[in-house]
Amino acid sequence: MKRTRLTAGVATSMTLALALTACGSGTDSGDGGSEGGTPEAADITLWLNGSDTPDELRDFLVAEFAEENPGSTLTIEEQDWEDVVTKLTTALPDAQNTPDVVEIGNTQAATFTYAGAFREISPELYAELGGEKLLPSFVEAGSIDDAKYALPYYYGSRYMFFRKDLWTKAGLEVPTTLQEFGDAVQELRTGERSGFALGGQDWRNGISWVFANDGELAVKEGDEWTSTLSDPSTVKGLEQWQDVFAQASNLPPTQTDEAYWEFLNDPEKGGEPEGATIMAPGWARWSLGDLTKNDEGDEVRDGMADTKKFDIFALPGVDGGVAPVFAGGSNLAVSAKSQHPELAESLLRIIYSDDYQTMLAENGLGPANTDFNEVMAADKFGEVAVETAEASKLTPAAPGWAAVEGAKVYEELFQKIAEGGDVTALAAQYDEKLTPMLNGQAG
Amino acid sequence: MSATTEPAPTVARPPAGPAPGAGAPGPRPTTRRRPRAGKVALSVLGLALSLVWVFPVYWMVLSAVTPNARLRATPPSFLPMDFTLANFSGVIADSGFLGALRMSLMITGITIVLVLAFAFLAALAISRWRFRGRASFVLAVLFIQMLPAEGLFIAQYKMLSSFGETAPVLGLNSVLGISILYTAMLVPFTIWMLRGFVAGVPAELEEAGMVDGLSRTKAFLRITFPLLAPGLVASGVYAFLQAWNEFTTALVILPSESSQSLPVWLRSFLSASANRGIDWAEVMAASTLIAVPVIVFFLFVQGRMTSGLVAGAVKG
Amino acid sequence: MASTTSTTSTSGIAIRRRRRPATPYLLLLPAVAVLLVGLGYPVYWQVVTSLQEYGMLQQFGAPPTFAGLDNYARILADDRLVPVVARSIAFCLVNAFLTVGIGLGLATLMRAVHGWVRIVMQVVLLLAWATPLVAAVTVFRWLFDYRTGVVNWLLVQLGFSQADGFAWLAQPATFFLVATFVVVWMSVPFVAMSIYAGLTQVSDEVLEAARLDGANGTQILVRILLPLVRPVLAIVLLLQIIWDLRVFAQIRLLQDGGAPVSETNLLGNFIYELGVGSQDFSGAAAVSIFVLLLTVALSAPYVRSLMKEDAA
Repeated sequence: MKRTRLTAGVATSMTLALALTACGSGTDSGDGGSEGGTPEAADITLWLNGSDTPDELRDFLVAEFAEENPGSTLTIEEQDWEDVVTKLTTALPDAQNTPDVVEIGNTQAATFTYAGAFREISPELYAELGGEKLLPSFVEAGSIDDAKYALPYYYGSRYMFFRKDLWTKAGLEVPTTLQEFGDAVQELRTGERSGFALGGQDWRNGISWVFANDGELAVKEGDEWTSTLSDPSTVKGLEQWQDVFAQASNLPPTQTDEAYWEFLNDPEKGGEPEGATIMAPGWARWSLGDLTKNDEGDEVRDGMADTKKFDIFALPGVDGGVAPVFAGGSNLAVSAKSQHPELAESLLRIIYSDDYQTMLAENGLGPANTDFNEVMAADKFGEVAVETAEASKLTPAAPGWAAVEGAKVYEELFQKIAEGGDVTALAAQYDEKLTPMLNGQAG
Repeated sequence: MSATTEPAPTVARPPAGPAPGAGAPGPRPTTRRRPRAGKVALSVLGLALSLVWVFPVYWMVLSAVTPNARLRATPPSFLPMDFTLANFSGVIADSGFLGALRMSLMITGITIVLVLAFAFLAALAISRWRFRGRASFVLAVLFIQMLPAEGLFIAQYKMLSSFGETAPVLGLNSVLGISILYTAMLVPFTIWMLRGFVAGVPAELEEAGMVDGLSRTKAFLRITFPLLAPGLVASGVYAFLQAWNEFTTALVILPSESSQSLPVWLRSFLSASANRGIDWAEVMAASTLIAVPVIVFFLFVQGRMTSGLVAGAVKG
Repeated sequence: MASTTSTTSTSGIAIRRRRRPATPYLLLLPAVAVLLVGLGYPVYWQVVTSLQEYGMLQQFGAPPTFAGLDNYARILADDRLVPVVARSIAFCLVNAFLTVGIGLGLATLMRAVHGWVRIVMQVVLLLAWATPLVAAVTVFRWLFDYRTGVVNWLLVQLGFSQADGFAWLAQPATFFLVATFVVVWMSVPFVAMSIYAGLTQVSDEVLEAARLDGANGTQILVRILLPLVRPVLAIVLLLQIIWDLRVFAQIRLLQDGGAPVSETNLLGNFIYELGVGSQDFSGAAAVSIFVLLLTVALSAPYVRSLMKEDAA
């Protein structure tokens, strides 16, 4: 429940911002500040989504920014993941009120990049910020040809959290193939307990089965995107997922991907947990485990301290190894309409600095700069995170992807599959619907 | 509460003027009706229905004073256990709550004043004068309400942003800017509601006052206005609820975290909570806190509201 | 009856009062001004955009191109539109009539019960009325939660064991059942209080006289009370229909709890999803205008009769 606390700073910097925009807006045009010299002092705004970025990191950014840019301040505003597309769509084109730097879901980055919402990151700056070391799939999501617009912020690939006590009691070992995994969770399922607690609409987890079977959601040929659900590999993956859902999950087909950890923790009302296995991004760890008190006296989860009870593994591939899973996470970009692009770039330099990348990794957020994966791989969580991330895949970087997500098309498709629909027929039906949407053509 | 049972018909229906037929005026005899056998049964039914109707509110408040850990207990408890106010302090400690409360109070206050003032004048015009364009105005007022608001955000945003360039007090994130949007959305219905009241106060009354030596303004303030007060209160209640509850426009028009209104804040509170398993107790405490100002406002205007509804209702 | 009375008194005033014709226009000025300021540009934008090709690129500065009626043609040919319209109209009518019906029932009940019961009922209605929308939907979502909701628990206790873990929001039918509960629960107080207020205007003498003439309770209700509150019923029903056709936030907030979105969208949600969700702003604008025209057409007979009463 702790949201960002920027304390009194917010209020003062807001007034300052108003004062500055009021007198400064006439003088500096689109490109802002004088060339080469120090940029005009100002307040810039960074939009971060949800509470994924811990307070410690936010405080660091604010302090560091003020230090590097005397007279300027950074305001961080927290946006709701549910509404962020709405708010970016209205605010980014507005030169007067645009946030200067924004976080955007990696799957939404392409749409805004194609629309011209972001300022191009020059090749020099790109190189300075990490260049080739930045997570390539995320960089691609925010690029048009060779021009870079949105860079990776953090990633979190998904892996499996499980109740070791329950698995052991059932005599089950960590599976080595996807089929073994399906069999194990099926065995663990009872009327009261999901072997694998999985929501039907949860396509973000579900597409791992597609990727594992070498399927694709969509491919780009020339300039055109084509939805490829009907591809035999994709169909095979979807059918395998349908089977797992039907055999191992007690959740309704309409459930989305919220808060699976509730199923894995010991219920507060007592008794057995409602699930034996879940699939979630690495930061779910801090919602798992036994209840304990933190320094402030609040009840928190102990982060799976009891290793006999809780453990993790990477989703195995079809023929062993690690299955390619969906990499969640986000990108960062400078608004094309930012009045203070130099300050915004200064903020980017802080974010891609060694210090900040280390902090991301230490907090379990996959660092944008792959050099820092080692920092994260310090414990078993980090190891699995890096291992799955290396095998992970992104959703198609198609211009219409945000529209597809906005209309919840995949949620619906997966729900219908979870309800036991005929996968081949559904695939054909949704291919027809998705192809024009992916290319940014309405409806 | 006693005011509720006495809807003061004399206020709603001034004794002067032509006898208004069915809703016969005059003091109502307070004689008790003959006790009837069915009355007890109907009273029981009334209480049962009240129980059903109040249950969601009861559940909300009950959950708000229960520790989150106890909420999941089976069987659920229908009485308070482990009473706590910790959920409330948790909500108030949230960085956004108090700011959002202040924002919502200001927006709602300004909206009510503007809506009532503008709609009252317009209602006066259409109920006391016949003029060219009157019918089209009444129709327009009715039809404006039928326009879906869900497609308007982009334009509203652009508009306020451009207002903000010349006058920041009217721009995005400003109390006044969104109040004007709300006023425009609410004025049509309020005009429609108030015209019934205004038509119900005969102008002769005011003229009689002027004959007695009052100026026009004084005659209006002393005679007509008190008679209209219930109508204004009833319309004000409506405007209050709408402005207090509005959520989608506020989301877009108040993009800054520091200018969120309460419903927007509650939603982000809910989804922040959803990310780590909904803390229903705190969410319910937040919901309760948001309802409190409305209930206080209702109690405050209660007596007048009921009599206001009377007059408005009968006039239609 | 009441309407006849009101019109005679109104027109009486109008005839007897002679003012400079400028006064009414001056009085209308603030309202018209705020409507123009607050809604003028958005409505204009809506109309213009519905005639243009306007998507994400245009929102970010590309000049929009004129598209004539293409958007309307596209929307009308869209196979999502008809189900959404049908669903919205059905939802609107069911909810409006349910609300007014229950409101009427509660109002007549309030007349018939002991004084203190009436106060209890009024307080309860007031509480429901005062509960903010987001809060109300949140409470209902939880009441009907498939795992921890009290409704499922109660049903299981009552012997409906299949209710255990039943996901109400998962199927369109039960989704709309819950949505109806929310909407009716929230709207009945206004209706009940308005009708009750109307009923209190019926003097006791009239009822006493009727009773002396041998009328029983039902006859009094049907022959005397209902005709007297007919104008109230008419206006309340019209308002409910207008409002229930525009239900948006309740559905959206319920959908957040996991629901088949495209099968539970009402018109408002469809417009929102097209516009902000799918960045098809011109399509959303076209649907908005279409909805406006549709509502005007549907309510035209009703409005005409209201206007006739008004102008008489």
